[in-house]
Amino acid sequence: MKARTRISSVRTLAATALTAALATALTACGSSGNLPAPSGSGSHSPGALSYQQVIDGAPVAPDSAIPAGSLMAKIKARGTLNVGGTDTSALFSLKDPVSGKLTGFDAGLAQMLAKYITGKPNENLVLVTADTRETLLQNGTVDTVLATYTITPARAQKVAFAGPYYSSGDAILVAKGNTDITKVADLANKTVCTESSSTAANDLKQYAPSAHVILFQTNAECEQAVEQGRADAYVLDQALLLGDSVRDPKVKVVGQPFTTEPYGIGVPLNSPEMKTFVNDWLKTIQSDGEWAKLWQATIGTVLSGDAPTPPAIGSAQGS
Amino acid sequence: MPTGLHETLGPLGHGLQLTLAMTAIAFTGALVLGVLLAVCRISPVPPLRALGTAYVTVFRNIPLLVLLVLFVFGLPDVGLLFSLFATVTLTMTLYWAAFVCEVLRAGIRTVPLGQAEAARALGLTAGQSIRHIILPQALRSMVQPLANVFIAVALSTSLAAAVGVAEMTGQAQFVTLKYDQPLTSFAATTVVYVLITMTSGLIAGRIERKVAIRR
Repeated sequence: MKARTRISSVRTLAATALTAALATALTACGSSGNLPAPSGSGSHSPGALSYQQVIDGAPVAPDSAIPAGSLMAKIKARGTLNVGGTDTSALFSLKDPVSGKLTGFDAGLAQMLAKYITGKPNENLVLVTADTRETLLQNGTVDTVLATYTITPARAQKVAFAGPYYSSGDAILVAKGNTDITKVADLANKTVCTESSSTAANDLKQYAPSAHVILFQTNAECEQAVEQGRADAYVLDQALLLGDSVRDPKVKVVGQPFTTEPYGIGVPLNSPEMKTFVNDWLKTIQSDGEWAKLWQATIGTVLSGDAPTPPAIGSAQGS
Repeated sequence: MPTGLHETLGPLGHGLQLTLAMTAIAFTGALVLGVLLAVCRISPVPPLRALGTAYVTVFRNIPLLVLLVLFVFGLPDVGLLFSLFATVTLTMTLYWAAFVCEVLRAGIRTVPLGQAEAARALGLTAGQSIRHIILPQALRSMVQPLANVFIAVALSTSLAAAVGVAEMTGQAQFVTLKYDQPLTSFAATTVVYVLITMTSGLIAGRIERKVAIRR
C-alpha cells in the first residue's frame, strides 16, 4: 500500500512540477506587460509573443457590435463570460495548479472573446464533459463552449456552432518501443484507449471496428495506460498527442492524422445573434494576426513551423 | 429517441451484464473477507484485532474513486498488470469488505452475552462458539444493513466507468458520444439502477422475515 502511494505521489508531483514549469514558461513574461518577449520565452520561433502578451493585445468590440437585448449585451452587463471548457487538456486548456490560471489555445480564445465583449479577459470556466455540453448550453448555464468541440451535424441540431476555428485530426500514440502500429489499420484487434469526452471513440468504431476501446477520463490516464502496457495505443487529436510525446520520452506519435476534426465554438441555438457575433470576431482576429499569435504561443510550442491557415468560417457541415 | 434505439439498447444491455457481474462478485467477495475481518476484530488474539482495525481504518477512509485510480494505475507500476475488470472488482471487494466487517461487528454486539457464556459453559472453544453460536445469529439480525451495503456496491460500480470499464455507465457514455442524447441514455441507466436497488431491497425484506430472530 505504502510503496504504491509513494510511487503514485511521486508521479503526481512530477506531473504537477512539469505542468507548472510549462505554464510558467508560457506566462513567463506575463507581468512585464507590453515588453517584447525575449527569444525562447515558451515558443520556438524567435520574436513570438508570450501567451499573456497575446491576450493583452486582443481587440475589444465597438459598442455598435453589441445591440441591446442580445446575449452579448447580457454578458457585457454581467462582466464575465461563462465558458464551458476543461482544465486538463495540455495545449488547449490546462490549469496551472499553483496560480490557478488557465492557458492554452481554447482558454486563450475564451479569454479573448470575453475581452472582446466585456473589455476584460474575464472568463468563468464551467467544467463540461461530452455528456453535458449540449445541455449546459441549452439551459443557459454557459454562454459558449470552447473545448476542442468537434462540429457534427447531430450536435448542430441542438446547439449552434460558430467557426470552425481550428482543424485537427485523430492520430495514434504508442509506447516508444512499439513497432507493430504505424497506421490506423494496424489498430485491428488491439486495445486502444481514448479520452471519454472525445469524438475519437466514434472515429475508432468507424476506422478500426475490431479494436477494443477503453475510455479514461483524462489525457494523463490514457498516456499512462499506454506506458504500462494496459493499452496498445492511444488515439486522440494530433496536437494533444504531440504535446504528450514532447513531455514524455517513453511514448511517440506515429503516422499522420486519419480524420479531420473541425473545432467549433458552441453557442445557444436560440441566440442566433451570438453565432454571427462570434463568427465576426473570429474573422477579426484571423485577419489581424491575433489568431496566429495565439497559435504560436500555445500549440506552436510543440508543433514546428508557422501557424496553419485557419479553416474557413462556416466550412464544416453543421457550422 | 427513435434514432438508433436498438443500437442503444444492445450496448446498454452488455453494460448491465458487466454491472451485475461486478456487483455479485464484489459483494460476495466483500462478504467473505468482511466475515474474516469481523472475526479478527472480536478475536481474543491482540495482533489479529490490530490487523482488523488497521484494515478497516485504511480502506474505510479512502474514497473509492481514489482507490480505483490508485489500483488501476499504481499496480502496473509495481509489475502487476491485471485486466481492468479484475482490478476494479478486486478493489471494490477490498473496499466494501471494510464496511461489511463493521456491519457484522454491530450485529455481533446484538447477540446477548449470555449466548457466548452458555457456549463456553457447554465446552465449545472460542472458534466453535463464533462459528456455531455467534456468527449465525449476528448475520440473521444484519440482513437489512447488509442489503444497504449491497445497494451501495451496486451503485458504486458506476465509478468503474471513470477508469475505463465499459459497464452500464461507461456504455451510456459511449452511446452519448454516438447519438448526443445524454439525457435519454442516462435516464435509461437511472431506471435500471433504481430497478436493481429496489429489487434487492424487496428481496432483503423477504429474507429478513424468514430468518429474523424474535427476542
